[in-house]
Amino acid sequence: MLETVTQAVINGLLIGGIYALVSIGVTLIFGVVKIVNFAQGEFVMIGMYISFYLATQFGIDPILSLFISMPVLFVIGVLIQHFLIRRVLGPNDMPQIFLTFALSLLLLNLSLLLFSANYRTVHTSYSDEAFHLGGLYIPEAKLIAFVVAMALSGALWVFLHTTDLGKAMRAASQNRDVATLMGINPNRVFAVAFGAALALAGAAGSLLMPFYSAYPFVGQVFVLMAFVAVVLGTLGNVIGALVASLMMGVAESLGIQFVGADSGLIVVFAMLLLTLAFKPNGLGGGRVR
Amino acid sequence: MTNDRQKSVLVSSADHQERGASRVPAKRPSRRKFLKVASGAIAFGAVPLRGWAADAINIGALYPTTGSMAQIGVGCVAAAKLAVEMINEAGGIKSLGGAKLNLISSDVQSDTTVTRTETDRLITSNKLSAIHGCFASALTLIASEVCERAKMPIITGSSSDQLNKGRTYTFTPFARASQFAKAQLQMSKLVSEQPKVAVIFENTAFGTSTSNGLKELAPGEGVEIVMFEPYSAGFTDASPLINKVKASGANALFSVSYLNDLILIVRTVKQVGLNIAINGGSGGFVIPDFYKNVGKLAEGLQGVAHWNHDMDENAQKVNAEYKKRTGDFLFEYAGGLVAQTFMIADALERAGSAEPQKVREALSALDVSSGFAAMAPGGKVKFGPDGKNVYGRPVGVQWQNGDLASVFPKEDARAPLMKS
Repeated sequence: MLETVTQAVINGLLIGGIYALVSIGVTLIFGVVKIVNFAQGEFVMIGMYISFYLATQFGIDPILSLFISMPVLFVIGVLIQHFLIRRVLGPNDMPQIFLTFALSLLLLNLSLLLFSANYRTVHTSYSDEAFHLGGLYIPEAKLIAFVVAMALSGALWVFLHTTDLGKAMRAASQNRDVATLMGINPNRVFAVAFGAALALAGAAGSLLMPFYSAYPFVGQVFVLMAFVAVVLGTLGNVIGALVASLMMGVAESLGIQFVGADSGLIVVFAMLLLTLAFKPNGLGGGRVR
Repeated sequence: MTNDRQKSVLVSSADHQERGASRVPAKRPSRRKFLKVASGAIAFGAVPLRGWAADAINIGALYPTTGSMAQIGVGCVAAAKLAVEMINEAGGIKSLGGAKLNLISSDVQSDTTVTRTETDRLITSNKLSAIHGCFASALTLIASEVCERAKMPIITGSSSDQLNKGRTYTFTPFARASQFAKAQLQMSKLVSEQPKVAVIFENTAFGTSTSNGLKELAPGEGVEIVMFEPYSAGFTDASPLINKVKASGANALFSVSYLNDLILIVRTVKQVGLNIAINGGSGGFVIPDFYKNVGKLAEGLQGVAHWNHDMDENAQKVNAEYKKRTGDFLFEYAGGLVAQTFMIADALERAGSAEPQKVREALSALDVSSGFAAMAPGGKVKFGPDGKNVYGRPVGVQWQNGDLASVFPKEDARAPLMKS
């Protein structure tokens, strides 16, 4: 019994690491630019296809292709912020919601056209291997993904807390008007935030590729979990999103184990409901950082 | 409009006169007729002009060559072309003066609405003798309805038992869905004398109906089901589910899943180090793409199919030619439809007519036990009043060395079952 529970927790933490990369991106964009990016999942999908083609055409390991998918998505993010998002920023939320939603639909259908609906997988030497400890096992590909995801989250935290640009981003997220008065260029800060969020989505895609299939709708699977994690961990709170993602991974895994394999999400949503009932601002207690 | 195409219109109208199909004896092609035929020709841009030559017999092929099932649909059309070429090279339909078959294929786009309109269009804008299609049961059910109304014979490899209910123009020469479940249960007895089966299935109409079929038949086959668990299709992680399978003490695993989930499941079973015989059923599991996606892990996995390329000499011959053309082995559905094309040819030969009604009569009296038309597990085809092949049965298969080998039942086994 203890072994089963431990195994379920390990499984949950490992997949939670991937949820974290997606949700940190969503919360970063919300915190800084103050818009909800409904297309975040589609950028995970793009990251996966980049890694898939690099692996099949050039034989590059999907984990290493992170060094290509992240910069590519960063640039895409900066361009989207500069040419699209910047135009709809203002007091009215509706155009922003429609814009990112339209972007999501466009990317979905474009990828159906370009890549077809087929499932694509990459096979690496570590895809099917696992470390065994007693009766427990830890899949290699997922462990690598988890470690890299945590490292990237840590790097983002350090960036936000030690560099001028990072501090400017936090300042802009706390109060945009005052930040502008202090000489912070919001357009520059927003572009970097959007780019960084998309780079994280790209990283999630590359890290998923060794053990998950790429297909046009793959982003939808992860973005749902990401939105729950973002709300659970307080909108705009990076640490909150990280912790909430890991918790949700574990809750889902335990739910599948002890409630039923088609009701893993019940536990996750019950957790969300209870949190909102007792702490309406999320587990971060409403503190945005 | 090129000269070529005008000429083909002339030929076509002459053709109509000969068969008495044209009620108004036209001295010259009228403008209306020209427009009708030309628009038909444009609509089927891919139809070779010789398709309109005198005496050719049109066979309709309905397959999804775009959309989510495109890969399979394209393979089906390639196999259908190969079958028609084989028949034509062997001299065509002799009782009709060596008439050649002409394949008119139409894309049903993996979509039920498109299937309805395309089937209708195919029948009304061409003079067809019979139709075959459409791979997915959901699409075939629609096409079959349209064909029944138009009194056009349709022959299909789709396995839904629904296709044998209240239909007179629909023929199903291969095993039915209900037979697949039974075969799958019997296969588990090859693995262990006391099979303990874990059934995991996606919580959709497809998963629920298939797994319930397994559950109902299990006691009669002496198979114990130790775990019966639905899961959400498109999950992110199969580990908790496989954890449960491990805890159930099962020695065989039936996974009713689509490709993506199945890949995750197979990989996780390997990571856990669980020694269990996996049976993935049919459909997406028995196509070359599955092995390409899963790689070496597919070795030893079992499934059920209504046709396999190693069944007999004829099947191997067709497989070799198909492989030369496409690079892949001839998969279940495509192989089956080569046999279906030969069944249509056999019916045409005996009917001595290209009229759909006559072809239907001849098909219902079909009784073959040799040649390409008899390429089916068991080697015999004869239709009962419900359009079902009375000898129809599925074949159990296993992935061995990147190829699909027939392993069950004994009469159809071409390789011994590999035990993991």
